[in-house]
Amino acid sequence: MENRETRLISGKGQYADDLDFPGMAHLVFVGSPHGHAVIKRLEVDKALKVPGVLTVITGEDMVKYTNPLPVQANFKSKGWTWKLANVYAMPRDKVRWYGEPVAAVVAEDEKTARKAADLVEVEYEPLAVAGNALEALEADAPRLYDDWEDNKQVHLKFDFGEPDAAFEEADQVMHIKTREGRVTGLPIEGRGCVAHYNLKRDSLEMWGSFQTPYLSRHNIAATLGMPEVKVKINAVDIGGAFGLKIHAWKENVVALASKLTGRHVKWFEPQKDFIVTGPHQRDVFWEGDVAYKNDGTLLGVKATVTHDLGVESTNKGIAALSIFPACSAVPNMYHWKGMHIEGVGAVTNKSFYCAYRGYGKDKGIKFIEHALNQIARKLGMTPEAIRLKNYIQPDEFPYHQINSYVYDSGDYPGTLKKALEMADVDGVRAKKEQYLKEGKYIGIGVISAIEPAGVAVPNCQMGGITQARVQITADGTIEVHSDRTEIGQGSEASHAIIVSNILGCNREDVLVKPVTSDYIGQGPLSSRGAVYPASAVAKAAKIIKKKVCQCAAAFLKAEEESLVLEGGMIYSSNNPDEKLTYKQLAEKAYFFPGPRGLPAEILKNHDHLLDVTTTWYSPTTPESGSSYTSFCTSADVAVVEVDIDTGATKIIKYAHVHDAGTIIDKQIVDGQIHGGIVQGIGEALYERLDYNDKGQLMTSSFSTYLIPTAVEAPDIEVAHLETPSPFTETGSKGMGEAPIIGSKAVILAAIEDALTPFNIEVNESPATPERVRSWIVAARKKQEESK
Amino acid sequence: MKMPVTLNINNTTWNLDIDANATLLEVLRSNVLNQQSVHRSCEEGECGACTVLMDGQPVNSCLVMAASAQGSTIITSEGLMRGKELHPLMKAFVDELGLQCGFCTPGMVMSAYALINQWEDEELSDMDIRKAIEGNLCRCTGYVNIVNSIRRAKQAKDAGNWW
Repeated sequence: MENRETRLISGKGQYADDLDFPGMAHLVFVGSPHGHAVIKRLEVDKALKVPGVLTVITGEDMVKYTNPLPVQANFKSKGWTWKLANVYAMPRDKVRWYGEPVAAVVAEDEKTARKAADLVEVEYEPLAVAGNALEALEADAPRLYDDWEDNKQVHLKFDFGEPDAAFEEADQVMHIKTREGRVTGLPIEGRGCVAHYNLKRDSLEMWGSFQTPYLSRHNIAATLGMPEVKVKINAVDIGGAFGLKIHAWKENVVALASKLTGRHVKWFEPQKDFIVTGPHQRDVFWEGDVAYKNDGTLLGVKATVTHDLGVESTNKGIAALSIFPACSAVPNMYHWKGMHIEGVGAVTNKSFYCAYRGYGKDKGIKFIEHALNQIARKLGMTPEAIRLKNYIQPDEFPYHQINSYVYDSGDYPGTLKKALEMADVDGVRAKKEQYLKEGKYIGIGVISAIEPAGVAVPNCQMGGITQARVQITADGTIEVHSDRTEIGQGSEASHAIIVSNILGCNREDVLVKPVTSDYIGQGPLSSRGAVYPASAVAKAAKIIKKKVCQCAAAFLKAEEESLVLEGGMIYSSNNPDEKLTYKQLAEKAYFFPGPRGLPAEILKNHDHLLDVTTTWYSPTTPESGSSYTSFCTSADVAVVEVDIDTGATKIIKYAHVHDAGTIIDKQIVDGQIHGGIVQGIGEALYERLDYNDKGQLMTSSFSTYLIPTAVEAPDIEVAHLETPSPFTETGSKGMGEAPIIGSKAVILAAIEDALTPFNIEVNESPATPERVRSWIVAARKKQEESK
Repeated sequence: MKMPVTLNINNTTWNLDIDANATLLEVLRSNVLNQQSVHRSCEEGECGACTVLMDGQPVNSCLVMAASAQGSTIITSEGLMRGKELHPLMKAFVDELGLQCGFCTPGMVMSAYALINQWEDEELSDMDIRKAIEGNLCRCTGYVNIVNSIRRAKQAKDAGNWW
């Protein structure tokens, strides 16, 4: 069978924008030009009079025809704050962020819908905006939700280990403050879907860029008040996701439009709308203390991380939940005595928070890695020395970290040492003084990170449980189903490799099916792919292998134990000349399994049905509460040159060592690493979602929201270690996020090192040229003054 | 307002009756021509997902008014295929895994095709490649395997495997 890459490059991709059905209508949203305003009047008459317009849906209709968006995560608990908001997919009375849709025009074609959308008249009364998290938490800040006493949606408090004892034992305490700007993952394709409400059956089917069809089915059914069994969601080819296509809420309006018109209705989001009304991430303020000994031994942390969530984010997405990993990831890969971490989330007049590669793990790790670099500098240690001193050692696994994570395996010192070698850190460091004499500001960044991967959290839609099905069909080809949507990260190829390796069949005979809501699971989020779905698929394949062997033993009149499965053939090692192909086996098993063909026991047990659906759940989560099952490891070393006249940063060398356990396919893993690193570089140097004081987003296109082009992206040298995970079926660990976690931190660390002569702490991102220049100017002024 | 336009698309001449204000992107993606490899994203010439060759040069088809393309020869990535056979450049992308989600890929391929087709020198540096695809944004690959694919395609051309 033709592989996916060949299909896509031949122009046969079937992305959301390629969907076409007879009689299909088109939907276009009308967005608010204000960051915060009361809707005084909304007139749709002129729009409705445009020939070709079928209907215009407003916030009023949402209240009339739908339920509020369902809650996706509820952590109301004693001592914690977790507020929920009752909101619809479109508002009736008040807009809370720039671009928030207030109406949806449905017309025979997209151009007509756009024309009519311009004729929807809305009269607003602008309100003051809550511009950022710190402002929004002030007592007199404009409130977003009338039934809340303030804008603080989330406040979590964690005690890991013995925080007070850690600080009592300390020789020194360092105060650390960092600030990370607001970004978005921004795949090149926006979101899109087609909905078809079947009026005869009262059922709904949707096709589109759904990263998590099973979750979307629940959310869309709940919004429309339908039984879930009457809703089917199909993922089509997806033009990148990175977590940003998990949520469904505009899609719910498209579904309603189909129900009201009885037509197939298509919506394809302009890229600008995806930036303005799509998911955002990061935007955090960290402040706290780190306790340590004079010899560099780390002891404890007391810190608070405040998140700018944008508008309520428990109904549209799952990212208020990302405050958990932001807090829990702080211990990273080191020994600690104790920590007290608080995570605060404030609502503001910005687009909502949802998942993006990293999902908070990046925030905790970036904070602590930054702190380690400051401590090392103060103690006169190299960044690698302080890490090597505090690492959990290879003989300590499985390691129960203070935060309840159970680390599966790894060689942390080995990973770092390899990266140091690859980047020739000693060599570059030896030349630093010489470079300075030549006026070159060269810096070395060193970062190491774990990637908590494969999440299972109760009280939310990421509960973990995952289903997979492997079926050997009657013609001997093999179909594989799971929840692991192909978003470009190699789901299809990985599952085909896993199944063909276990069954000894040809990879070309395995067809990994597009994901639908028919199979339970949260899809590829939290780097679950190689943990949950891959384990479920491997488990199903192992069960089916047993059935294959039972049937084949009967057909070949051989002992089950003697059977060999390889090259698409099944034979007994005692009689290698008599072979069965999978086609022959399946034909016999399905069509001629009669009493004389197979033993009665096999028939009675239905073992001749070469079809297995099974589930997989983490072996560590139930007992330990470790919300992640596998912990991939990485070390990043970057060498940069900062032009102190322009503030521009150039990456001279980038080395990355990765340990994702057993590698399923090196080319795929390398591709994930390259992509994650370059996204992290974008975050570190260029990307920023800037709102003005009226709450309008000023960076809403590729020309203002700058993602790295091929020219900014560096050459990347990658090496691997493989310490298999004992907790997954294949030994593989979830991967794909470590590269962004490491890269965004390492670039900032390298800039800081390059700017050593100015004694600048680089604790704010992105480090854009103008920002770096302003740091240098301020540092020079300070140096002048102290003279 | 409708107007007639003649375009040669992937070696077929079309006499079309188009909307006067339609972009080349819209016409190529329309039900008539159905060139679905030409992807729509930013529609303001920033992302390169809709790149096609117009008289041999890569253009963002979202920025070209179809009417102004009167008489032009257009090649989309579908036009590089020979029947079901992948063009050596496309094969290089598959072999090097120069695509992940695949959305930017057809546009990327067209910029790369123009680069290699027009490159007379023996040497093609990685920076030459990077500059040629600067207008094609990719969010998945970090460009590493794309650069590897294009370098491999150049070798294919040097070995006489090219059309």
